[in-house]
Amino acid sequence: MFWTVTLSLMKGMLTTFQLFALTLLFAIPLGLVVSFGSMSRFTPLRGVVKVFVWIIRGTPLMLQLLVVYYGPGLLFDWDLLPRFQAVLVAFVINYACYFSEIFRGGIQSISRGQYEAGEVLGMTRSQIFFKVTLLQVIKRIVPPMSNEIITLVKDTSLARIIAVYEIIWNGQKFIKSDGIIWPLFYTAVFYLLFNGVLTILFGLLEKKLDYFRV
Amino acid sequence: MKKLLAMLLAMTMGMSLMACGGGETADKSTSGGSTTAPAETTDDKNDTATESTDSAESDMAAIKAKGTLVVGITDFEPMDYKDEDGNWIGFDADMASKFAESLGVEAQFIEIDWDNKIMELESGSIDCVWNGMTLNDEVKNSMATSNAYCNNAQVVVVNADVADQYTTVESLADLNFAVESGSAGEDAATENNLTYTAVQTQADALLEVSSGSSDACIIDLLMAGAMIGEGTSYPDMTYTVKLTTEEYGVGFRKGSDLAEELNSFFKTTYDSGEMKTIATTYGVQESLVEQ
Repeated sequence: MFWTVTLSLMKGMLTTFQLFALTLLFAIPLGLVVSFGSMSRFTPLRGVVKVFVWIIRGTPLMLQLLVVYYGPGLLFDWDLLPRFQAVLVAFVINYACYFSEIFRGGIQSISRGQYEAGEVLGMTRSQIFFKVTLLQVIKRIVPPMSNEIITLVKDTSLARIIAVYEIIWNGQKFIKSDGIIWPLFYTAVFYLLFNGVLTILFGLLEKKLDYFRV
Repeated sequence: MKKLLAMLLAMTMGMSLMACGGGETADKSTSGGSTTAPAETTDDKNDTATESTDSAESDMAAIKAKGTLVVGITDFEPMDYKDEDGNWIGFDADMASKFAESLGVEAQFIEIDWDNKIMELESGSIDCVWNGMTLNDEVKNSMATSNAYCNNAQVVVVNADVADQYTTVESLADLNFAVESGSAGEDAATENNLTYTAVQTQADALLEVSSGSSDACIIDLLMAGAMIGEGTSYPDMTYTVKLTTEEYGVGFRKGSDLAEELNSFFKTTYDSGEMKTIATTYGVQESLVEQ
């Protein structure tokens, strides 16, 4: 029984991991775009982005999942996205918004003087961003990002709401099929291991970024 | 201040738009084919309205066109469960496959979150709910249901060592119950004026009892048969009082013509004895309802 459960949970873990990795892959670039939008000097764009971020951060991710998956069919009779893709879309949008605020904080924490110095040296705005600001921003946002990323690992469990068979679903199903409850709690081991590895990786990354102390 | 007002207005508008959309779908699906596309809608809207009217007109045609009948289920022995090779079997699963065969399509089983079954149906991600579903008011109001095909009961589950104290409905008054939210068990608890906590699934209700946070729970008789006693996580539990008897049916989208089709399928297979043969395979022949 133990092996059956472990195998089943590992299968769920694969889905969890795919969701985690793909969310990061798409949410980080999108988050950067959103953060530029929220710092734009063009007021209407800034307004739209801020309202969007407010809506996404202000509503539960669970509702967003239901809207993304069932919404098209319920409201417009459109064909639905495959379940996994719907979850991915909802997660990417949600996390991009959270990331964008972290990025914005990081970017705006770089002192004005550095931009002016860059301009004096005749650098363009994008040169200043990529050659001067970016590395310092990365260093500063690692701790808040590690927080969000670890939360993401656990948020993937929401995917079961629209019947994406991630690890909690695979643990829970044994309650119904075999009348045993320990597999559900056993899933915690998998989350702990996953987050343990992430914590170590973030520790290493912080050490690596330990150059130019400000 | 102005900005705040504008934002609030925008929000209200957004919400009312969503509400309209929701209402529209409900109307369309209940209208069962009467042409609804109002003259003042834009071209785009007209298109979707006509399309959906078509699909509401014949769910059967739509399913034949796509070649699959998507059946929403949960793991629920002996109605829907997996065999050694991972194929879905059970009384409901076998009947669903036979029904799909009679339509000339293939049955495809999808495990769903039971709480979202109505949304799954309405959004079109599944075509029917066929999973030992009790025909209660919630189900009848939100789906096109088939005739009842199976009987079931709601039973009170308690720890075995106190079972002999709770053998009558009167003796249950002081207990704290756990029931599945929106289930027939919850209805039974309300009817008998019992104190209860609503939890997400019947399995959670059992967990409540075994952890001691509730004294007893009310679940399906069929479920109780599979989940408590020897060889399960709940060897020390047993069931005592039968509160209500109830009937199982199959649910389709509102206005669907498949419910009628299934009724005649039930009749044919009941008369030919096929239904009984399948029921006997899974030990539910005693509960069958005459068609």
